[in-house]
Amino acid sequence: MTEADAHMDFDLELEQDDLDEEAAEAPIGDPCLVVDDLHVVYRVVGSRARKEAEKGVEVREAQIKPSFLKRLANAGRQHTGGVSEVHAVRGISFTVRHGESIGIVGVNGSGKSTLLRAIAGLMPPASGSVHVSGEPSLLGVNAALMPQLSGEQNIMIGGLALGLTPKQVEERFDEVVEFAGIGDFVYLPMRTYSSGMAARLRFAISSAASPEILMIDEALATGDAAFKARSKARIEDVRQNAGTVFLVSHSISTVEAMCTRVLWVHQGKLVMDGPTHEVTERYKEYVRSLRPPGRRGGRGGGRAGGRNAKGGARKAGAGAGGQARAGAGGQTAD
Amino acid sequence: MAERYGLRRLNVRPPLREYIRDLMGRWSFIRVLATSTAYARNQSNYLGQLWAVLNPILNAAVYVLIFGILLGVNRHVGNSIAFIVVGVFIFRFIESSVTGGAKSISGKTQLLRSLHFPRAVMPISTVLSLLATLIPALVVMCVIVLVSGYIPGYQTMKVTWWWLLLPAAVALLWIFNTGLAFIMARVVATTPDLDNIIGFVMRVVMYGSGVIFPLAGYLERMNISEGAKVVLGGVLEYQPVAVFLYLVRSCLTQEESIPQSGLMWALGAGWAVLFFVIGFVIFWRGEERYGRD
Repeated sequence: MTEADAHMDFDLELEQDDLDEEAAEAPIGDPCLVVDDLHVVYRVVGSRARKEAEKGVEVREAQIKPSFLKRLANAGRQHTGGVSEVHAVRGISFTVRHGESIGIVGVNGSGKSTLLRAIAGLMPPASGSVHVSGEPSLLGVNAALMPQLSGEQNIMIGGLALGLTPKQVEERFDEVVEFAGIGDFVYLPMRTYSSGMAARLRFAISSAASPEILMIDEALATGDAAFKARSKARIEDVRQNAGTVFLVSHSISTVEAMCTRVLWVHQGKLVMDGPTHEVTERYKEYVRSLRPPGRRGGRGGGRAGGRNAKGGARKAGAGAGGQARAGAGGQTAD
Repeated sequence: MAERYGLRRLNVRPPLREYIRDLMGRWSFIRVLATSTAYARNQSNYLGQLWAVLNPILNAAVYVLIFGILLGVNRHVGNSIAFIVVGVFIFRFIESSVTGGAKSISGKTQLLRSLHFPRAVMPISTVLSLLATLIPALVVMCVIVLVSGYIPGYQTMKVTWWWLLLPAAVALLWIFNTGLAFIMARVVATTPDLDNIIGFVMRVVMYGSGVIFPLAGYLERMNISEGAKVVLGGVLEYQPVAVFLYLVRSCLTQEESIPQSGLMWALGAGWAVLFFVIGFVIFWRGEERYGRD
């Protein structure tokens, strides 16, 4: 498995700084977030699900509720456009207590970001419910505030949107700029920022309001080492103040370093929920299994590897192929 | 279990009263969002904020040239330049409130999906930002109205006490426009297709409201029964856009056909309140759905 491990380092974006670090324990309190059988469905207007996609479970043609106005607007839609539905989150339930720091892992398109938006109250659920104490604050790399405005104005707008008063924002202005580490760039329009600078500023803004529940969507991926250390300290602050942190990241080592509990989401469903190490070990096995033996690419490679294994071939990839099947059936496999 | 620990359910529409209170608490957010978007609108041009004034002037100049001078449709009006300029400037505010309100939710999905606040902030601040750009334009409008009176052949315009009522008329219009923006935001957020129709509807409204020329003369010559004329005339005269144009013109100009009218002021206030309240309720009823599509 030495070869597989070498590859895994690349696939899982292990980061050396984070290795051998573990999230510090914080006092765990009462529940602060209850998610009950949550379903989220995107409606995509103007794109019809293809026949092949309809067979799949995730994308299907929308059944439009027969309200009169809508029926009127949709008359003749069959030929002029379409509405597709993407069932991104399919029945997830869990409870979170104060002081927990939760990582959400999963392959691309598994519904992590949608889940996060839904529990932040930004995506209305199709069914199920989210109960929360306090005001969750989400920050993601895509959370464009106002690109045409300067960083300074964005800090004001972001702070006010988070519910601060103008005075509070002014008080924290220097702190935010310093934390983001963008210096005089704060007076230039945000569209001139590099992606790392913009992400840092957004993180600084949304954590400035010291929210009870802080949600971070891949935002740390773009920061440099110094920024990462600062943000880790900030996350610890939130947790020590009995807050809760959610972290979506593809970097397993970041999750391991910052989280006490991990949710593994696959195709909109919760595969595993448990202490960081148990879940990440299983997730690593799964991701490793997806990695093609040689360069055959994606899941197809994994299955091909599986067939090889049946044939009794004893190659380096064969073991991984076998695990692919175990991993894909992870909901049922123990 | 959620109840036991005093947790609040997300994504449910708050009661109207609570919603209004929350919205009032966000007033500074609305204000900052409005002023910064108003400022950003013209920021990428060399002339910058000057365009906020230049744009309506050029717009009015085109209409004055075509309708006032070439076609001469304003023979019943003492000062056609003042008539057209007031019409174009004020109508532009209404039209951009409708188009801006329509995009205030559907065009801002990124912002809505990253931050949590009462969604009514968006249409309100859109209209407020338009008001912020309107105010310098209004000053220019007043100057043009005065100067046009010195051109031979046009009725002379004077500054009267009635000018003091201009802010009141604009305030009513602002309330009315916010109501319009609420309705458009909800409608376009649910059915994006309607965004394409707005342009055509607004053009019909423009010609049906006497923005550029008074409609009275044309109505007389129409080939319909007397009863129909009365009904159509009443609708055209007392519909909201025409009422607001009348109010502003009655403040600024001394046209004989547009005297000050208490009835028109009452109607203007009525339309403003009616549209604002209905629009707000319509918008609030869709609150939990914005940002989903």
